[in-house]
Amino acid sequence: MTPTELADLSRVLYSPVTLSLYLAAAFVYLYALTTTVGRREERERGMRARKVGLVLAVAGIGTHIAHEIVRGLAQERLPLGNMFEVTSLMALVGVLTGFIYMQVIRKRPELNGFVLLGGALVLASALLMYSEPGPLMPILDTWWRTFHVSLLVAAMGIFAAGFVFNSLYLLRDTGELAVARERERQLEGSTVGAASAGDLDVADETSGIGGRTIDRLDATVDDGRDHDAEYRAALRAGVSVPRLVIGTFLGTSLVSWVFVYSAATLAEGLTRFLTINLVMVAAALIARWFVPLLPPTATLDGIAHRTIAFAFVMWTVGTIAGAMWAEQSWGRFWGWDPKETGAFLTWVAYAGYLHARATKGVKGRGAAWIGVWSFVVLMGTYLIANYVIVGLHSYAGL
Amino acid sequence: MGWRWLVRMRTALMLLGVLALMTAVATVVPQEPNVPTTVRSWRLGEEGPGATVSAVLDWVGAFDVYGSPAFLALLLALFLSLTACLIPRIRAWIRLVRRSKPPVVKTVGGSDITASFQTDAAPADVHAAAAKLLGGRVWRIRRHDPEAEGGPLDASSGARSAPSQVAAEKGLWSREGGSLLFHLSFYVLLAAIVFGQLLTFEGQRGVVERDRGFTDTAISYWNYQPGRWFSEADHAGWRLELDEFEIDWIRDPLAPGAGQPTTFRSTVTITPADGEPFQDVVEGNQPLTVDGFKIHQLDWGYAPRVEVEVDGQMVYDDLLTAVAADGGGFRSAVKAPAADPDVGLEVFFYPFAPDGDGGPSLTGAPWDEAPLLVVRQWRGDLQLGATQQTVNELDTSGLESEGGAFLRPGDEVVVEGVTIRFPELRRWVGFQVSSRPQIPWLLVGSALLVAGLIPALYAYRRRVWVMAVRPPGQQRTLVTVFGRAFQRPEKFEEEHGDLVTELIRMVGVPPDDTTDPDDRAPRSGADPAAAARDSATEVMPR
Repeated sequence: MTPTELADLSRVLYSPVTLSLYLAAAFVYLYALTTTVGRREERERGMRARKVGLVLAVAGIGTHIAHEIVRGLAQERLPLGNMFEVTSLMALVGVLTGFIYMQVIRKRPELNGFVLLGGALVLASALLMYSEPGPLMPILDTWWRTFHVSLLVAAMGIFAAGFVFNSLYLLRDTGELAVARERERQLEGSTVGAASAGDLDVADETSGIGGRTIDRLDATVDDGRDHDAEYRAALRAGVSVPRLVIGTFLGTSLVSWVFVYSAATLAEGLTRFLTINLVMVAAALIARWFVPLLPPTATLDGIAHRTIAFAFVMWTVGTIAGAMWAEQSWGRFWGWDPKETGAFLTWVAYAGYLHARATKGVKGRGAAWIGVWSFVVLMGTYLIANYVIVGLHSYAGL
Repeated sequence: MGWRWLVRMRTALMLLGVLALMTAVATVVPQEPNVPTTVRSWRLGEEGPGATVSAVLDWVGAFDVYGSPAFLALLLALFLSLTACLIPRIRAWIRLVRRSKPPVVKTVGGSDITASFQTDAAPADVHAAAAKLLGGRVWRIRRHDPEAEGGPLDASSGARSAPSQVAAEKGLWSREGGSLLFHLSFYVLLAAIVFGQLLTFEGQRGVVERDRGFTDTAISYWNYQPGRWFSEADHAGWRLELDEFEIDWIRDPLAPGAGQPTTFRSTVTITPADGEPFQDVVEGNQPLTVDGFKIHQLDWGYAPRVEVEVDGQMVYDDLLTAVAADGGGFRSAVKAPAADPDVGLEVFFYPFAPDGDGGPSLTGAPWDEAPLLVVRQWRGDLQLGATQQTVNELDTSGLESEGGAFLRPGDEVVVEGVTIRFPELRRWVGFQVSSRPQIPWLLVGSALLVAGLIPALYAYRRRVWVMAVRPPGQQRTLVTVFGRAFQRPEKFEEEHGDLVTELIRMVGVPPDDTTDPDDRAPRSGADPAAAARDSATEVMPR
């Protein structure tokens, strides 16, 4: 095949093939999650759906890897040279790591849906930065770059998975706190509340207030008794829709304004901005719907912490490798170039998260918020340093 | 406030937050040491949010965040807080390493994961096997035998009444030790950066191909940035000449990546201060090191040779080092004070300007397939030494324009009685020379940082006890293996199960143990409370 044909093939493999496979797998897994509280035959259907999801997810990862290989062949170099390629690999590493972690290590395949949904979003966002395959500048063509960039990109993907679980944790915790507050209010008000207080003990066991290190009870999986359905509804209702929508929209805007800034026309920029923001809002609303079906907060928090800790080590090593390469290539190891500043800022933010998680009074919600903000910092500096501010690293961008 | 305030993690978090905030400012606002021209146009209000906002930014030091007193103060506060945190932690850790022994317990704790089995082996043998197994897996072990230990009551670890057991612990030193190492590495990094700033040297110098090179001395650099403790005597005195500079691009405008450079290589001859000359190559990712000085390619440009003759007398003959300017051109200047009045030429060089309709067309491409020199002649007073001007810029305030001309290589033109020739074209390379004695220390600091970070995050603290008891009058020994995880409990369940399986393999379980073969497998505590209750009633000696 000619390079042009290979390039076309790689594009098709990316979108629609991989993108639709990820989305399909995500929705099949999410459907499977809805059946965990249903009747027995429903649960069996969910188990079958999970198998379908597994096949779709593995196929999606397969076509994604195939895309990377074909694109690499088309341009005769590793596909790690521009924004599109970096974002695409970020999605791949995020999905692959998250999937393996959930499926094999944590054995919680029911959460794969969120991993794949997040991966699909990152994958789709890379299309906004699509560029045709091409050769690399000679200065970038070195072992150093491969090592430094692939570590940082992989860390970005895993940080993305960490962001998904921190967000899910916050949603679930918000729901549980709302239920707990409601219960307290009822206890103060009347004797009717006493009965429901007993029902909600399960929630208290797993809520964010107590010990977070051990998954003591799985509050969600239980046979379909009435008060369970009520509890689930209360959890969902605990997350206020307007606040979630406005918060997600504003939070996403902190990053997505870059697309308005960098687009050729204002109309195009606004379209991209709104698309990203509304997709994120939709994802947040989907996640809200699944709040009652999520595992206990301690599990979500633990998953987020493990993924972020792992990515933090990679980020540290990748940044040090970058400084070593800069000394080799530019003659200075650190010069506060926008990208270097961004890498440092991200590192400080996630270091803050790891410290917060070990601090009494901050761990739990406070730490999770720092984790969420850290991801905003990561994506913000990634886009700003490539699209807004011109620095030495900028040729790695567009 | 005060010491107690400094020691708190919240303070450290807050300081980290301020650090992040300042870094964020430095990401958004252009930094003077990096992009001085952008900062200048921000100050003038030509770019950015306007002159008024820029004045405010200037006032708070936002144009040089990392050099501002606020940043230094923050750094100081961070290191003070770090020190305040670390001193008690290091002392506690040393005490821990020197004194601590895995604690001895009397019974299974409420939240312990536990499993028990029966064996024919004697309790002492089981304990020996457990010690061997755990010791082999790098647990710190303590064998407790109340009958053998006749000494006084050990107050720290429980009473002598505790049953005979093997207590083991791991992750206690390594996790905290890793964290301490991670934080201590910042002192190494800080010291390396501070002393590096003082001892470092950086200088830039442009060299034209096949022209006289330069010698490593203080006066030969165009830009010279020595650290405070770097003296002129520290120069090594080697000599560099540029034999050839190769550069190429993807010239096909339709090819992917059109216009990108593909080659960027200088062949240089180096003459060390006391040695034979040798030839070497400097490339993008491959600097050259001579006597501890690193030589990088930083910049490049075209070096047209220009001759200027006035009234039959050569007043200028030199190679210009034209620097890249907007629009794909290269800019330089000729200053000939030997003529009377002075001759100045504003020079623009366009490497690829083929002839089109009505004159050359400027393509902006950087390869020299159709080189064109555009000169504008000025006469009057160059004001050399009177005003600040760079090599490639003309101060035209004392000059009058006399018209201009186009020249191709080999051309000669006469503008108002001044003959200008363009006999040949070469290239020049801007080299950066640096000496950074701090690099090895930075590497050591980084290595310590990573070496500390990994155990700090991945060493899990666990305790395990193995108790083997043979109740009086019985043939079988009851073995209980229980323990607790301080991190990642779900992973400990696997580890515990593995330990039990391995111990069973070592001491052996009688084949006729129970009727139900499933019972022989260790009961790993999915429900710790129930398991603890079970083992307490079944196994624990009264």
